[in-house]
Amino acid sequence: MSEAVDSVSVDEGRGGGPRTMISLQQVSKTYPKAEAPAVRELTMDVPEGDIVMLIGPSGCGKTTTLKMMNRLIEPTGGRIVLDGDDVTDVNADELRRRIGYVIQQVGLFPHLTIAANIAVVPKMLGWDRNRTAKRVDELLHLVGMEPGQYRDRYPRQLSGGQAQRVGVARGLAADPPLMLMDEPFGAIDPITRERLQDEFAGLQQQVRKTICFVTHDLTEAVKLGDKIAVFGPGGTLEQYDTPDEVLTRPANEFVAEFVGSGAAVRRLSLLELARLELDEVVISTGGAPAGNHPVVALDDAGRPERWLSVPGTDQPPPLVTVPLTGTVYDAVDVMLDAGVPLVAVVDGDGESRGALRWQTLIGDLRAKRRRP
Amino acid sequence: MTFLDYLSQEWVELVILGRISFLIVLYAVLAATAVSVLVGIALYTNRFTPESWSRTARKGSQDTLLVASALALTVPSLALFGLLQKWVGLGATITIAALVIYGIYPILRNVVAGLNAVDPAVLEAAKGVGMGAVRRMIRVQLPLAWPVILSGLRVATLILIAIHVVGGAFGTPGYPDLLVDGLAGYGTPGGLYAVVSAVIGCVVIALVFELVFLLVKRLTTPRGIRV
Ligand SMILES: Nc1ncnc2c1ncn2[C@@H]1O[C@H](COP(=O)(O)OP(=O)(O)OP(=O)(O)O)[C@@H](O)[C@H]1O
Ligand SMILES: [Mg+2]
Repeated sequence: MSEAVDSVSVDEGRGGGPRTMISLQQVSKTYPKAEAPAVRELTMDVPEGDIVMLIGPSGCGKTTTLKMMNRLIEPTGGRIVLDGDDVTDVNADELRRRIGYVIQQVGLFPHLTIAANIAVVPKMLGWDRNRTAKRVDELLHLVGMEPGQYRDRYPRQLSGGQAQRVGVARGLAADPPLMLMDEPFGAIDPITRERLQDEFAGLQQQVRKTICFVTHDLTEAVKLGDKIAVFGPGGTLEQYDTPDEVLTRPANEFVAEFVGSGAAVRRLSLLELARLELDEVVISTGGAPAGNHPVVALDDAGRPERWLSVPGTDQPPPLVTVPLTGTVYDAVDVMLDAGVPLVAVVDGDGESRGALRWQTLIGDLRAKRRRP
Repeated sequence: MTFLDYLSQEWVELVILGRISFLIVLYAVLAATAVSVLVGIALYTNRFTPESWSRTARKGSQDTLLVASALALTVPSLALFGLLQKWVGLGATITIAALVIYGIYPILRNVVAGLNAVDPAVLEAAKGVGMGAVRRMIRVQLPLAWPVILSGLRVATLILIAIHVVGGAFGTPGYPDLLVDGLAGYGTPGGLYAVVSAVIGCVVIALVFELVFLLVKRLTTPRGIRV
């Protein structure tokens, strides 16, 4: 098996590197009467179209950092550059209309309908009725809520998950290039949260916003983030890199400790099967010798049906499959579930694209390197 | 002459007097509301204390000012009318002036309480979407505080209806005048009937106000926060 397997990389495939959407330059915040700064000389560039996950222990200044980006909190030092403009001293209200803002408590306006809630910013920007109404319906669709059913409801008539969907829609309403989200799914039950995360990832595929996203949850950070910013106590940025780098190469003791012992398992969900050099599978052509590769028999439709032989086993195990679009995590899940040492990877048509073997997983997967 | 005879003879007059009383109370309530909302917003946003003061000191001064405005209620009504006579003279004006003073505290209290009760998350969201302070107050804070303010208005109105008859001693027309006349001739049946009519009239005014408030509440409470 070759080592030419890349990990997820954000900069890949973009000529000249991505544009910076928001740039924090030596930004500090010391609250009045506080002895130590809550955020200390923070310098961080967020590339356009990326989701940056801000993570770290409680009280390390994540919320403070986020709120300085839309000046809900005024920095006491440093500069903030949004899309090329220094916004450290511009009118804060106008700045905020250009930046989406979503918080854990949602904060929908209880006296306004869902449509009116979403339309708040467009209305302030002076959009006409038609355009606003169209946009509201479009956004409700986007967050998976039927406009006809929800448009005229009031916030108290929504579940927590629905309310947060509307919160996200409100943040997106005027199509801001930058979204700030402070633990948006933090107060939602785990099952709904996972669904919202998946929907959110899908939504981001469509809208391609630059997003700064505060979370407490490393799994969420790894799942959603193009980059992770790990904050340490005292408001310092300990590491700012791709999830893969943060998990495999923590910058220091603090990050290593924070990422913790689950890092190796979490990393599995970052490895997309499509990007792995999979184990070769020999398709049975009638008893031809297979060397060291597993041999599979196909059904009439050309899909893997059962293993004929698997090296290292006397009795071939039952065949299980995982889609090529999945991750190693999914593959492991399937293998553990079925109690088998290998899984066939199939593409959208159900045809075999190779296999992932337990042996390879614990042996070679460690050695995988970034594509140069 | 029985009381019923009295009523059937005087009822047109009683309705006219009632209308006068109703309007006196209404004007006073409206004026007190205007004052209370403005002062309440200023109190709520801590406009009366310098920003350099600590949060606790500012919160404390907010409470102190609120209590101070309650003191107005403890001034005996006769004394207040007597004092006001100097500035505003007699008639309906003096009663309206006194009622405004008495009406401020119950309304002001509820303005501040209502504004304080607005969910901080909603306020943060309002700031976060780029609403300025004035827009936030008009579009978000006052509408959300409105049901609480309205219940302050109701209480104030009831208090003011009770107090307004004191104006009879200072030449205020309406039931105040009727009451004073009746008390002057208390020995006669007509005097007693006048007193009783004034009392019943006040109850009727209170009921009318309750109906008005029911309607206003229905019409002005945003549907999303109706309970
Ligand atoms: N308004 C404020 N006034 C004074 N100190 C504050 C204020 N807000 C936050 N702090 C302090 O600043 C530090 C950073 O707070 P911040 O809310 O940014 O942390 P956080 O990383 O978001 O924490 P969490 O994960 O718990 O949300 C904390 O020590 C906190 O006590
Ligand atoms: Mg926080």
